Amino acid sequence: MKINLRVWLKIPDAEAATVKNTLRRRMGYEAVLADLGKERLWSIEVDDDVRDPMDLARRLARELVNENKESYIATVDTIEFEEGYVPVKVGLHIEDGEAVSALNRLRNRLGFDMVRGVERSVVWKLALKSERPEKAAEEIAERLLINPHKDFYEIMT
Amino acid sequence: MKIAVVQFPGTNCEHETLVAARSAGLSGEIFRWNRPAEELSDFDGYIIPGGFSYQDRLRAGAIASKEPVMEALREEAELGKPIIGICNGFQILVESGLLPGLDGVNVALAQNVMVSKGEIVRRGFYCAWTTLRHESPPKRCSGSFLLEKGDLIRMPLAHAEGNLVTADERLMDRLNEENQVVFRYCSEQGEVDDEFPVNINGSLENIAGICNPEGNVLGMMPHPERSSFAFQLPPTDARKCVGDMGAAGPGRRVFESMKRYIEVRR
Repeated sequence: MKINLRVWLKIPDAEAATVKNTLRRRMGYEAVLADLGKERLWSIEVDDDVRDPMDLARRLARELVNENKESYIATVDTIEFEEGYVPVKVGLHIEDGEAVSALNRLRNRLGFDMVRGVERSVVWKLALKSERPEKAAEEIAERLLINPHKDFYEIMT
Repeated sequence: MKIAVVQFPGTNCEHETLVAARSAGLSGEIFRWNRPAEELSDFDGYIIPGGFSYQDRLRAGAIASKEPVMEALREEAELGKPIIGICNGFQILVESGLLPGLDGVNVALAQNVMVSKGEIVRRGFYCAWTTLRHESPPKRCSGSFLLEKGDLIRMPLAHAEGNLVTADERLMDRLNEENQVVFRYCSEQGEVDDEFPVNINGSLENIAGICNPEGNVLGMMPHPERSSFAFQLPPTDARKCVGDMGAAGPGRRVFESMKRYIEVRR
């Protein structure tokens, strides 16, 4: 069973603003990119016999989300994104030290014995004015959002 | 000989880099990223210093690499002028494709992963003195023009993302064959060991610095400007000198090399 936590900032996201400005002002996407948002995505593999996965998701969120500045949505085994943008998931194809640390922290220090694995990624939400938005999203991912020598991307529509 | 020390928002080593360059006999100034890029052509060489350009947003060096000033630097590099990227400057050069300068982006500087006896003992930011072994022949590279092959040079590093990785299985062979590996992390005796603490950030083949095929562009993670004066050396180093504040430290050789490279090109 996989618990997914989509996490985003309540306060203005300066990184998303910088990426949007770079794409629009420096890389020629002014007419294509209408808006850009960013979320962190925690995908947490847990034992299948967990009785109340949403309660577990809330307890995991207490450790992985800072609710003073962040909001989140928890789902089990599925991820759904709102319409109006192309979600591009970016993660590491080399070992992700932060995910490894999170797994160790959850299991060995905080007692979440049911947690089997942790994956961490960023979802860039691209609002695109294009007849082929997924193609444009792929191009943006390859030109800016990833370095292919350590990152992968996936269009999540 | 006038050099530009290119400053992006978040750069934080520009002043000491300029002081170090001046101590080697270069003149120059800090060149803000939003000045007209064509003004760069007035300079004989360029240094992109360390820091956190654009707060390392997205990934270190990625945003700065898209600034118009980088396109202007690419044109100056094609003319053979020397460019040295230090720490974040190296990250910017990698993200812009100027290093290793083959075709597109060929490597990444990923998060540090320190491995000892087969186990990861540490990750992320690390700040320490390190020893570099000069790997390329003399005069191969602008920033090590005066160094002999095998020379050892001490300087500190401070970064979280200096672990050179590549998905191209043939790249390392090519870099080695073309003498584009300029510096490797080694012990104080000059031995290259691929485990921490000698390989201080987990970089492929202990790589600390590489150059482009032409040799005029050098990127390195450690900070030569932080060991350009003997007074900057750690107390354990016998060469430390606090009496003469102008006495040279080992890192100055990088800037002296750049100066000599410019002289020879003229």
